[in-house]
Amino acid sequence: MVTLFLLLPLAGALLALFLPRERELDARWIALLFSGLAFAVSIVIFVTFDPDQNGYQFVDQFTWINPSGAGFEVQYFVGVDGLSAPMVLLLGLLSVVAVLVSFNIDERVKEYFAYLLLLETAVAGVFLSLDLIQFFLFWELELLPMYMLISIWGSGRNRYSAMKFLIYTLAGSAFMLVGFLVIGVDAGTFEISALTEMPPQDALIPLSLVFWAIMIAFLVKLPVFPVHTWLPDAHTDAPTAVSVMLAGVLLKMGGYGILRIALPILPEQAHDFRFVLAAIAGFSVLYGAVITLQQRDLKRLIAYSSVSHMGYVLLGIAALGAVGLSGAALQMFTHGTITGLLFVMVGLIYERTHTRDITSMSGLMHRMPLIGTVMLIAGLASLGLPGLSGFVAELTIFLGAFDAHPAATIAGIFGVVLAAGYILWMVQRIFHGPADEKWADLKDANCWWEHVAMGSLVVVIVAIGIFPGIITDSIESGIAPIAQIFEANL
Amino acid sequence: MGIDLVGMEDVWILPAIPFAVFILVSFFGRLIPRNGDFIAVLGMALVVLLVGLVLVDFQGAFHDEVFAPIAGANTYSFDWIDIGDGFFVIEFSTYVDAVTMVMLPVVSFVSLMVLVYSIGYMKGEARYGWYFAALSFFVAAMLLLVISGNLLQLYLAWEGVGLASYLLIGFYWERQSAAEAAKKAFITTRIGDVGLLIGIILLWRVTGTFDIQEIIHAAEEGVFGQTYLTVAMLFLFAGAAGKSAQFPFHVWLPDAMEGPTPVSALIHAATMVVAGVYLVARMLPVYDEVLIARDVVLYVGLITALMAATMGLVATDIKRVLAFSTVSQLGFMFAALGVGALTAAMFHLFTHAFFKSLLFLGSGSVIHATEQQEVGELGGLRKKMPITALTFTIGSLALAGIPVFAGFWSKDEILHDLQHYGPFAAYVILAVTAALTAIYTTRLVLLTFFGKPKNEQAYEHAHESPPIMTGPLVILAVLALVVGFITYQGVGESLGFVGGIGELVYLPHHGPHVFKLDIAFAAVATATAVVGVAIGIMYWWGDARRAIAAQSWAPELHQLLVRRYYLDELYQGVINHVVLGAAAVVAWFDKRVVNETGVDGSTQFVGFLGYRFKFLQTGRIPHYVLGMALGVAALAVVAIGTT
Repeated sequence: MVTLFLLLPLAGALLALFLPRERELDARWIALLFSGLAFAVSIVIFVTFDPDQNGYQFVDQFTWINPSGAGFEVQYFVGVDGLSAPMVLLLGLLSVVAVLVSFNIDERVKEYFAYLLLLETAVAGVFLSLDLIQFFLFWELELLPMYMLISIWGSGRNRYSAMKFLIYTLAGSAFMLVGFLVIGVDAGTFEISALTEMPPQDALIPLSLVFWAIMIAFLVKLPVFPVHTWLPDAHTDAPTAVSVMLAGVLLKMGGYGILRIALPILPEQAHDFRFVLAAIAGFSVLYGAVITLQQRDLKRLIAYSSVSHMGYVLLGIAALGAVGLSGAALQMFTHGTITGLLFVMVGLIYERTHTRDITSMSGLMHRMPLIGTVMLIAGLASLGLPGLSGFVAELTIFLGAFDAHPAATIAGIFGVVLAAGYILWMVQRIFHGPADEKWADLKDANCWWEHVAMGSLVVVIVAIGIFPGIITDSIESGIAPIAQIFEANL
Repeated sequence: MGIDLVGMEDVWILPAIPFAVFILVSFFGRLIPRNGDFIAVLGMALVVLLVGLVLVDFQGAFHDEVFAPIAGANTYSFDWIDIGDGFFVIEFSTYVDAVTMVMLPVVSFVSLMVLVYSIGYMKGEARYGWYFAALSFFVAAMLLLVISGNLLQLYLAWEGVGLASYLLIGFYWERQSAAEAAKKAFITTRIGDVGLLIGIILLWRVTGTFDIQEIIHAAEEGVFGQTYLTVAMLFLFAGAAGKSAQFPFHVWLPDAMEGPTPVSALIHAATMVVAGVYLVARMLPVYDEVLIARDVVLYVGLITALMAATMGLVATDIKRVLAFSTVSQLGFMFAALGVGALTAAMFHLFTHAFFKSLLFLGSGSVIHATEQQEVGELGGLRKKMPITALTFTIGSLALAGIPVFAGFWSKDEILHDLQHYGPFAAYVILAVTAALTAIYTTRLVLLTFFGKPKNEQAYEHAHESPPIMTGPLVILAVLALVVGFITYQGVGESLGFVGGIGELVYLPHHGPHVFKLDIAFAAVATATAVVGVAIGIMYWWGDARRAIAAQSWAPELHQLLVRRYYLDELYQGVINHVVLGAAAVVAWFDKRVVNETGVDGSTQFVGFLGYRFKFLQTGRIPHYVLGMALGVAALAVVAIGTT
């Protein structure tokens, strides 16, 4: 089942590439079909997933590379637990949304959708891999389509941004690979669950260094201060769908990696450095939020707000308890939907106004009430309004982290005031005020794909805000074994 | 038990009705005749009816004149969020007691009046249906707030009313000033809300529960440390002060008058802004445990009451005068709570809701008729709008604290309690404020309805409002005249309350207190109010020459008040220069230092190294041999050195 989820987008990508040139536009439908099928599979996985059962479900496993006499093997080993099930669902949903908001693409259409689908497969591989080497391969595979999508279909300084993204991630993952090899070779296995059961006691190089080698890759991806500056550039210059995928699922690879690999395999080191992590987290929340206040470019504004919001993820993680970790996992999901929606809206606005300069827009509500309303909903979710999904995640993190890190948590709570500031300022500047002649010809969202893209995310945001149990039941079961490690031993 | 169709355990249905109306009208309003305004009104009428039934059930729970419901008869709960296997459970829970039963009739009845009035006032407005939808959403959130049995649910509703307030202040979002005011209101209250959230977390950490009654219990049993509890309750109060526009958060309320006037009547006079008072009243047993925090409530209430009244003296916009007066009256309520006088505070909340919503709706009637809201453009309207003038005057007399009108009884009660339980200075401050209240109220009435019309055109244009608007005015005026009497046992009982308000709402450890009119005390309070009215008449009767003289007599003082003690400017300055200034510095740091120096710089450095060292790759064998020899020599030195 999960292999099917992994391969469906890849199959779609190949199929799209083989379209004859004159039927190029059909690539859209192929992409929609395959991402739609993958989404359907992800729903089946999520719904049939049994939170009460321990361990991984829907497992596919076989030996992949087994060099003789090397003393280790690399497996193809995929499966889901309570932690990855929501991530798979998020990926399935946002991939469909990303395809939908790309329906207007008219340049090298086949390749575009092939890369987009390949990206889905790569990220799926990251969320599903239960073997370190396999995880690493998918982690690297994601770079190729991202680099292409930003540098070919992007705008502005797209080559600079794509290269920056590439080098940043590569630099991080080089350290990660060293960390993985040190651990794996020492233990004779790369299987994550085996490594979790018997955490390495010592290795070639000090384990605290190994911990940071692995963490650096994840922190870059998250991202947090000071390794965040690739994000605003990548977002600004990427096409809309790529921004949606980037904010929606790619950033989650960082948090997911910490929860899946860094904490369970190196719990003692995580515990030793928890105050450092909390300090980075609290600082990132405020730092990102303060910079957001200064942004005039719509995409940069949301990109910096992501730095702030992903700081909450790290804050929840640094608490190292069931509640904080659950909050972190939930925040990853909710941030994916909320920020995904924000970028969808930015794309819709940009398509119409051809500007992202907030100060040059005003009174757009007159022309596009629907876009304005959905943008307001997304903004309110982003600033943590109760009843929408962002609040539940942030609250859970605050409650989980308060005892362990009171100062960082209070810093985080004040972040929501700043969030109200930049979100409402943005909404007021863009949408409110008298009608501007300049924008008299703009149309509201009027195609079915725009409606579906917006509507699906709004429904998810409201549904989780009111019934968080639909996601938290799964997350709890995924977090419980990780939390147990910390409760039992430390 | 009486009719048990809808009892205290079923109050969750109260917010559910307007919420359903909100969904229905906001999504399908266009398909419904009249955009669904009648659905909102009928839904609200149903809520009022149900509140009546709950009241009947409530009375049934009294035994020997003490509220003693059977366990579970006044509560209802189910698990809403459960994370970490019961580590923290968020319940949906409702709780009904006397404090709730004061709030429910206020919220539901004033809402109904405002909705009916709005049919006339908002007629022909763009987004007519949305107006009724948003107002219904507000009522749902407000009802949820007052029935909440736990603090998190209260917080959710708290933010819900904040959102409704934001949407309705910004109802005329085409107007930059309205959009600005909406944002200001949301952000200012949110600063307080952060305090509230921190307070809630602090209480939860120790008790492991969000349930209000359990937290009160824990506090009474001394589970908390004194300092800890003081800090927690001060944080909680920050939320209350933000919502109820108390100093230093009061700045948003006068600007909130940008919203449609019926909204001001409901949200920014009668209901939402008293949420803070409600919260402190609800938690008063805990404040009684930490007197430092309770004293802060007192001082903030006193400062706000006096300060807002002085600003009300010079405001020229009819709605803003009323807004300052609301801030000031809320200060009275907090001052009462600050000395532990729950009864007096809730009583004043009750009467204030009626006469203040009456005044706002009356001002709306004036604005509707003249399209002017500056008192300098009004005057003489009593001839054109007799019903509005009469009802407005009744509301004003209630506000001024003239005997038999509702405000007299409750304000008297507050002054009385302050004199008994508070420092003497507190009593003096509030007495002075009461006199100021009478002055600015008189001024407002005279400038609007008496004297000569100052703007002939507006005057000619003026007409009495239609019955759908004057109807609610008349009903509220009658209430402003009589609700004060519920302080008497007989009246309270005939209205469905058990006993007078003093025997209904009280702190358990203080016990009920039967109301006795203290003639001497009341005479002093009355004299204060009458003197205030007299001063008002002296200055603003006729051509108001003396008032102008007063302005030129103390222009600096006048300017200080007009500019609202420069606080708005101070805050704006802090935001512009300190917050955004710091943000600019950080953004510069991020751009130049982190990104260009750190990130781009390191890549350039690598590039630079490559550029420099590429000359080593000369391709000539002798150079490589030399290098190798030097390397071997160096290694040899190291090897010898270590052995």
